[in-house]
Amino acid sequence: MLNVSDVALTFGGIRALDAVGFTVGPDEICGLIGPNGAGKTSIFNCITRIYQPDSGTITYGDTDLLSVPRHRVVGHGIARTFQNLALWPQQTVLENTIVGAHSTATPNLFASAVGWHATRKAAKQVERDAWDLLDRLGIADLASHPAAGLPFGTLKRVELARALISRPSMLLLDEPAGGLTHSEVDELGDLILDLRRELGFSALLVEHHMGMVMRICDHVVAMEFGRTIADGSPDDVKRDPAVVAAYLGTPA
Amino acid sequence: MTTLIDKTSPARSGGQGPSGSGRRGPVVILRGSGRYRLILAVCLVLAAGFVAWGGTLQPFEQGQLTRAGIFAIAILGLNFTTGYVGLLSVGHSAFLGLGAYTTGVLVVNYNQTALSTIPVAMGICFVVGLLVGIPALRIRGLYLAIVTLALGVAFPEIVARLGGLTGGAEGLTIRRTLLRPPEWSGFTLGEKDQWLYWLTIVCLLLAFVVLRNIITGRYGMAMNAVRQNEIAAAASGVNIATVKLLSFAVSGAITGLAGSLFAMYIGSLFAEGSFTVLAGITLLIGLVVGGERTMLGPIIGGLIVVFLPYYTSDIGGGQFSAVLFAIALIAVVFVAPDGIAGGLGRIIRKVVRVDARRPDGGREGGLFGDAPTATATESGSAR
Repeated sequence: MLNVSDVALTFGGIRALDAVGFTVGPDEICGLIGPNGAGKTSIFNCITRIYQPDSGTITYGDTDLLSVPRHRVVGHGIARTFQNLALWPQQTVLENTIVGAHSTATPNLFASAVGWHATRKAAKQVERDAWDLLDRLGIADLASHPAAGLPFGTLKRVELARALISRPSMLLLDEPAGGLTHSEVDELGDLILDLRRELGFSALLVEHHMGMVMRICDHVVAMEFGRTIADGSPDDVKRDPAVVAAYLGTPA
Repeated sequence: MTTLIDKTSPARSGGQGPSGSGRRGPVVILRGSGRYRLILAVCLVLAAGFVAWGGTLQPFEQGQLTRAGIFAIAILGLNFTTGYVGLLSVGHSAFLGLGAYTTGVLVVNYNQTALSTIPVAMGICFVVGLLVGIPALRIRGLYLAIVTLALGVAFPEIVARLGGLTGGAEGLTIRRTLLRPPEWSGFTLGEKDQWLYWLTIVCLLLAFVVLRNIITGRYGMAMNAVRQNEIAAAASGVNIATVKLLSFAVSGAITGLAGSLFAMYIGSLFAEGSFTVLAGITLLIGLVVGGERTMLGPIIGGLIVVFLPYYTSDIGGGQFSAVLFAIALIAVVFVAPDGIAGGLGRIIRKVVRVDARRPDGGREGGLFGDAPTATATESGSAR
């Protein structure tokens, strides 16, 4: 499915990514772990075409993602959330969710100007999907509330709704548990597993919360200093000496 | 039944809705409900009454109202790109002028009827809007303002250069007989001002409805998204370049429509008089004072930029009038930073709030259960 290989990325003299490679299979939840600055979010930004890698390849199915324009990535089935939230604060929760469907049912300026019947019907359909999703994520009664001013955990759910409404086959989640309480983290883990069962998607998960990574991931990739240092089952990666050293440091 | 999330999660502790905690919130009205339609109908009747009253006014007052309507259309156009997409344009006077000169040149030099020049003027302004929108793909904010400023400054110079077509610095005069109302309208040549008033009202109404359809629809949501966070908009599948270019083009076309009407209204065109950057700034003032990103703001703004100078010059003559005008504008922006329409909206929302209504017709079979649209190939396994 998603295949990242030999990706390198530099900012000026800083090597953010250096020969990173891994594969995420169908219906697999893959965890991407590593200390701060290891390059996890940079990988996300390469996959979603925000950054252009200096070398390497990223493919999804048969598609060479590096030749896909930024706004087309989601149309290939890859939707993402952001580490520090990237919502549109003045828009309501419902509107934030609806824009997420832009790729599956792209609105036409001129058709909406005259208000074609077909345009309205398509809009109604998207609206229904958005309400269903908000309901499923437990935030339907905030639908008419602007995103600004809502709690962080709620906004993370709005981002999740916005990503899911495009019916992705690959979900990129950037620290979904960041800033959540313990019980919320457990709830979120269950939610992701349930949603995968209901909707069917693979996921790539950047996460610092090891409990959640170990519980929901089928496969874990560890990074340090822009390199892949371990790749395997959660248990194997947890015991890998290189990973232990990266997190705890080597004894002097 | 699917598993549901714990309803007591902290997200919902905000006490939303009127029936919540002890504090009384605003009355909630659902969009599209009976009460919503009643309020809308009352507003429409009031607006129709105002327009009909304008139809009975003396020529001078009616002319001012026509002028305000023309400015309202121009500001509606500006609001579309500067308000919703956030592309600051100081030079929209160029679109006003381009629309006006298209009508003027076609009527005077090519013997066209005034009415038939409107679509041409809009088409030309649409294309020029596309071209001017290109810099907006790379730059934004003040830098874009400078590019559009250059456009506004260049326009009168270009008109002067093309003297053979536009009359150059001497101006272009459209004889009154060339602006005869069409036969079918029932207006005689002597009633030209009446005709223009009603033509302006119809154009304002059409522009209002078309832009409202876009803004309240999904394309409008995408435009708002582009303004607030481009990366998130692109990640959601919004083609930033298309949205920016088309919004600039539509904006130019609507302001060009206003220009075309302005040519019929004023009769003689002087680029140095009516279409300098000062006119572009006037449009911006109307937008900000009326209320950016509101549908009524441009109409209020049009009335303000036309009528406020009259009142201030009644009180103080000459330059003092300009100072009073400035003080009045500062006062408005100080009291209501989001413009008059925005400020009124804030007050109204304390009493009545309009919420989105969930479409009828529940689903069976969970999420996207019976959704007939798109991605059928990918979710082949679903039921």
